[in-house]
Amino acid sequence: MSITTLPDAVPRVPARSPWAVETHDLTKRFGENVAVDRVELKVPRGCAFGYLGPNGAGKTTLIRVLLGLTRADGGTMALLGHPVPKERARALARVGAIVDEPRFHGHLTGRENLEMLASSREQAAARRIGPSLDRVGLGLRADDRVAKYSMGMRQRLGVAACLLGDPELLILDEPMNGLDPAGMHDMREMIRSLVDEGRTVVLSSHLLDEVQRTCDAVAIVDRGTVVRQGAINDLLAGTTLVVQVECSDPERARGLVEQAGVEASVQLQPLGLEITLPAGTGRAVIAEISRVLVEHDIALYRLQPMQATLESWFLQVTSRLGES
Amino acid sequence: MTTTTSDAPAPVARSGPEEAQDHRGLWVPTGAMIAARHKDLRKRRGLMIALAAVTVGIPAVYLAIRLILHAAAPHSYGPAGGYDQYTGLVVGVLYVFGFIVAATLGATTGSADLTEGMFRHHVITGRSRVALYLARIPAGLAIIVPLVAMGFTIVCLVCVFAAPTSLDYDGVHVPVQLSQPAFQHWAADHANEVVNELPFNIGPKDAFGNSPCLPGPGPRIGVPGQSPAATPCPPGQLRALAVFIAKQDYSDYARVFLYPSDSLMVKTGLWIELEALIGFMIGLGLSSLLGQRTIAVILMIILELIVTPIAARAKLPHMINLQRSVVGLATTHLEPGGLPAPFGGGPSDRLLFVRESTTVAVCVIVAWIVGWTVLGAWRMVTRDA
Repeated sequence: MSITTLPDAVPRVPARSPWAVETHDLTKRFGENVAVDRVELKVPRGCAFGYLGPNGAGKTTLIRVLLGLTRADGGTMALLGHPVPKERARALARVGAIVDEPRFHGHLTGRENLEMLASSREQAAARRIGPSLDRVGLGLRADDRVAKYSMGMRQRLGVAACLLGDPELLILDEPMNGLDPAGMHDMREMIRSLVDEGRTVVLSSHLLDEVQRTCDAVAIVDRGTVVRQGAINDLLAGTTLVVQVECSDPERARGLVEQAGVEASVQLQPLGLEITLPAGTGRAVIAEISRVLVEHDIALYRLQPMQATLESWFLQVTSRLGES
Repeated sequence: MTTTTSDAPAPVARSGPEEAQDHRGLWVPTGAMIAARHKDLRKRRGLMIALAAVTVGIPAVYLAIRLILHAAAPHSYGPAGGYDQYTGLVVGVLYVFGFIVAATLGATTGSADLTEGMFRHHVITGRSRVALYLARIPAGLAIIVPLVAMGFTIVCLVCVFAAPTSLDYDGVHVPVQLSQPAFQHWAADHANEVVNELPFNIGPKDAFGNSPCLPGPGPRIGVPGQSPAATPCPPGQLRALAVFIAKQDYSDYARVFLYPSDSLMVKTGLWIELEALIGFMIGLGLSSLLGQRTIAVILMIILELIVTPIAARAKLPHMINLQRSVVGLATTHLEPGGLPAPFGGGPSDRLLFVRESTTVAVCVIVAWIVGWTVLGAWRMVTRDA
């Protein structure tokens, strides 16, 4: 996917709200089942925002409510500062979205499908069809019938459809689905390039590694409720730090660390130790551990602080929820 | 729980003159929307082939075969055209099957976006759902109306230009394409030939039942070539009898030796287009309501082929108003005169149909079109995408 600028981009001017998406007490029920439970969400403009949650957590339902595909049962929401559904048409004029698996008319070509969608938008949308197809790497297959497209190609066509409206906000539901590793890489780059242009991208995904690589901020949703949200760096800063130590005489090393007065939990490993330090532990503590071991003639082969991952954080958060 | 991610970045937003002019919340569809929808339908190859096969193919193939047969063996096979062929094709094929194919097109138009997953894409654009619905109407009609017109034009052309050009009846050369007064006038001028050569059915109690001009003493059913009357016949009575016979024979004459008049063709064309329009609008509304095509098409076929004929012919005392509200019955009441009754029978069979005034028929048709349009649009607006 190449990075090209869409034509007819209009000058950006400040809008009323700093938030691309803002919900308050948003609720959606299906009978007894509460799919979206009083969700409070604020997505800042100009970032890539991940919306994470296990299957059935209500991710897609929230997106459908935001886009007016289904009605909310309570609460308020706004897209790009426009209250929805009151100013829905105005809000969605600058929103592009893929919800669930992107499906199109199979008997039409990719270009013809985009022509259909462009006809529902402003006139300039028709002029963005070619650049949008080029941008998602479908320029050469644009005149093939969609029935012949692979899942990944349809996913790209869905992104191209999003770009027709020169959107300020893109909402992508599981955009990595069906993509091979190269496709995922391209999609990641494209999302970042869209963010670099000042657009906001909200994506829901269960591929935590991809989200961590792509997004600036995330929210975790579980059973319809947003349980955590924030910038990824801020959230991960609140997690425990694991230091892996490969050394001689692990038994003695364990005792030395425990006696050093460091607040840590030490686990014996076949080749050394795994030391878990509490959140917010500074680098000085790691240096202290190193010094203690070396001073007591323990041969250090490797000492590696393990970067906390979104996945481990996600599992910590969700496991705590499970315990509670 | 609310936790904000970080300080919100400087907001960026777009607004421009185009956005201000973009009335996508309005219910009126744009020309581009209609054109795009039309293209979507036009590109459905299987559907288009089926529509063309029924509306154009069946009459075209049937008439082509008749043309060939007549050209190859004119004494065995009559002319391809003529009034009889015209009425048969218009009422038997274009009227009934035109409705069904129009309903199929309407049902496809109403449900394709939903079943193929495109409805959601359109809703996300922020475009009014009513506008999305209304765009389908001209787009679909722009397909079915010309198709029906094409099939009808073929029927008209063949029935006019391949109508019989002469009638030689046991040596009597009868001119073709005469109106009833002209036919009677010709009969008066050829009274002797008419009385002796053309068929008639005159009983003893009928006018001219005891006319001395009738051929032979016994039979009163005319047999061509029968011996002339034995009793001398006054010329005035002979002419009057010839005119009477011509009047009696005209319907048979017209059926074979006449082609449809211009006014009848115009009226018939409008009538079958109305039927196609009704079929399309109901199919569109019904499929939008149901969210799928198959059941909608089946229901439409049942309506046209089962419910309407029953409602037209069976007079159920307590349900007569319900019968009158069937749209197919209403359109049969608008059928141009001179055509046979739909669903089988001659022109006189229409007298057996459940009666309703033209005003009621028009109201029923308008109610069906408006009602199904409102229902379809309402469901489209309220449906989860």
